[in-house]
Amino acid sequence: MPGLNGEPEEAHRMGIDEAFDALQKSVDEDIKKTRLARGRRDLFKEALLKEPDVLETFGSGSLSRSTQLKPIHDVDIVVVYDPDEHPEWGSSGPSAEEALEHIRSQVNRLLSQSKGTHATVVRHTLLRNHAVKCFLDDPDDPEAFTVDVMAALRQPDNSLLIPEQLSARWVPANPEYLINMVAEHQRDWSYFRPLVRLLKQWRLDVQVEGRIKSLVMEVLALQCLPASGNRCQGLKTFFTAAATRVNEGVWDPAGLCGEIQPDLDREGLSAAFAEAADLADQACTAAAEGDTDEALRLWQEIFGEDFPAPAAAPKSTALIGAPALISPRPIKDAPQG
Amino acid sequence: MLILIPQDAATVLRASGAWGRLSLRISQPDDLAVVGGISEGGGSIISVDPPPPAPRLLASCDSRPTGYWYRAKNELHALWHLLRVRRDTAMKLDVFKDAVPNGFKTPGDGGYVALTHAPGVKDAYPESRLPDLVAWHVTRAGFQPLEMSAEPETTGIRQLDHHWPVQELQNAHIMLVGAGSIGSATAHALAGYGIGHLTLVDPDRLQWHNLVRHTSSRRHIGRTKVTALAEELTQLRPDTAVTPLALDVIEHADQIRALLMDTHLVVCTADGVAARRVTGHLARRADRTAILACVLQYGALGEIIRLHPWRRHGCLTCRRHSLTEAGSLDPEPALDAGYGTGTRHRPMTAVGPDLHLVAHLAAKTAAATLLEHAGHPDQRLPGEHALIGLRRQPGWAAPFDLGRTAELRWLPATPPRPGCPTCEAP
Repeated sequence: MPGLNGEPEEAHRMGIDEAFDALQKSVDEDIKKTRLARGRRDLFKEALLKEPDVLETFGSGSLSRSTQLKPIHDVDIVVVYDPDEHPEWGSSGPSAEEALEHIRSQVNRLLSQSKGTHATVVRHTLLRNHAVKCFLDDPDDPEAFTVDVMAALRQPDNSLLIPEQLSARWVPANPEYLINMVAEHQRDWSYFRPLVRLLKQWRLDVQVEGRIKSLVMEVLALQCLPASGNRCQGLKTFFTAAATRVNEGVWDPAGLCGEIQPDLDREGLSAAFAEAADLADQACTAAAEGDTDEALRLWQEIFGEDFPAPAAAPKSTALIGAPALISPRPIKDAPQG
Repeated sequence: MLILIPQDAATVLRASGAWGRLSLRISQPDDLAVVGGISEGGGSIISVDPPPPAPRLLASCDSRPTGYWYRAKNELHALWHLLRVRRDTAMKLDVFKDAVPNGFKTPGDGGYVALTHAPGVKDAYPESRLPDLVAWHVTRAGFQPLEMSAEPETTGIRQLDHHWPVQELQNAHIMLVGAGSIGSATAHALAGYGIGHLTLVDPDRLQWHNLVRHTSSRRHIGRTKVTALAEELTQLRPDTAVTPLALDVIEHADQIRALLMDTHLVVCTADGVAARRVTGHLARRADRTAILACVLQYGALGEIIRLHPWRRHGCLTCRRHSLTEAGSLDPEPALDAGYGTGTRHRPMTAVGPDLHLVAHLAAKTAAATLLEHAGHPDQRLPGEHALIGLRRQPGWAAPFDLGRTAELRWLPATPPRPGCPTCEAP
């Protein structure tokens, strides 16, 4: 809200901006590693697109939205098949698993380390609930890089049907919706994607019961980050709005897949957002009053040691009973009728 | 005399050339005049009256040619400011004449009203906030400044752009259930905050006994309260679109349920337990937050309850039940009694301003709820349930044991009770 506790654009922006840049650098993946991940993804897309029963391939997941955290262990791709080639797909029953097995055989034929006709990169494949996990490294390596390949059938409304092995059903999904929403927000506000990455990192240290899915943070960011202003204002707005929104549950923005994490500790996360909102509000006020050091310390309290901030000012000990260096602001006796 | 310059008149003056004639509608008893017509040079005077349905200023006064307007040098407007500060100070006519290089008219015996337009004054005196249009009384003896008020280009809630989140609230749609004493004041306050869309729901008609507490006036007697309110608000706060619905929230629950899909928030000021319960139930089922406002104890206590449709936030019935279990609330049927039905031992009842105080806090709660949801940390409330002392009485059970009149206490939410038909999924 401009004018209501919003810090002036100029107020020590350089110092705070630089600190946010440093934090961002610590969160973002190295560009070479990102390019490597994209290259591996594109290799799969290219190989599978040449198959006669494949209509299109595209990347999904956080890498396709540029909201990925480091390290990048895996990438996701969607393979859209021609329904005429697989008329039995899309119906409940064994076709869900058959579709995943079909992908596995295609991947092995095209990309396996021993006999791939397109490339020799895949060491092992595993069938998961929605996708085939393709290991490009030793599967026993906890840092092993994987490509998750999902089969899909395009629907008349442009959404997808994807196989779900455990329930032996094909379920609706629309990953492109989120990709487009993120891209649109980014077009409006260039801080969007970087801040999503910061917030996804922030969640890892939040004291809640259980974990917080990365997608929960991404959807909340879409709903609660503004489309203008500086990073401080954006984060203050986000934490405040998210503290209430998370109580409503976080749902698939495309309206197809329901609640993203039904077991999410809503109350715990709401309390964490509210605490961060308080600190962000104080940080913006400190910045507006020219106290950049205090603002930096408050942002560090939110984001941890990776956010650079000066050490706390030493307490004055020169005089016993000396007034505090920082005291609450007095209210001006300037009545307005 | 105060000279009023409506927006259309100001626009014409700013776009015109060097000089022209003016016609004014003058009310001598009010010492007031309104610019009603303007000519370009010696041409005919063209009306600049505000278009209907805007109120016709001084409509009872005829428009008469009574003055002139001139393009002026910037220094003349600085002089206007200085002379007003000095009060009753006149300057010689030559000074005025020099400052209006074209078209100056020598005054007759009675003098005339002049308006001057100095288009460059804001650039010449950037910090001074001098107006580009000012008014004068010009006589043979000299000239003096007149009070002047020009209608700004931007009026209404958008005047507060950059100081208040106008756009967010203009996009908000609130349903107000109950258009009685508290409801009418709540509607005015919500419009004052800049809520863009209000749907008013109340089947009652305004009657004589309502006038002592309602915001509507005697001229609306017999009409439905929502119609009267909608008409008044449309005139007073044109930035708020008002939809009046003479519906009963209980009897017409199906219609209300459908309307909630386009509503962001529900405020209930209905004064019956059943109506409040139904409103809270419908809102929760529609995943909407409801804010309930009322007075208790014959108007001695004000109460605002915010009901979020969240897992650990109970509905009205659950909250009432927890207060009853704690021994602080007596769910007596008298809760349904109207204002002023107390006994000889409790002769006082709720008065309009006390009810309006509760109403304004309810509206503030609603606006703050919307703004917190949109990410404004300075609009967060301290709790979900507010109690206001209107006429403190000793001996009330906690949490109603407010120490003094006007004390405000906020309480947290209470959880849903197992088996609650409102809180548990159908």
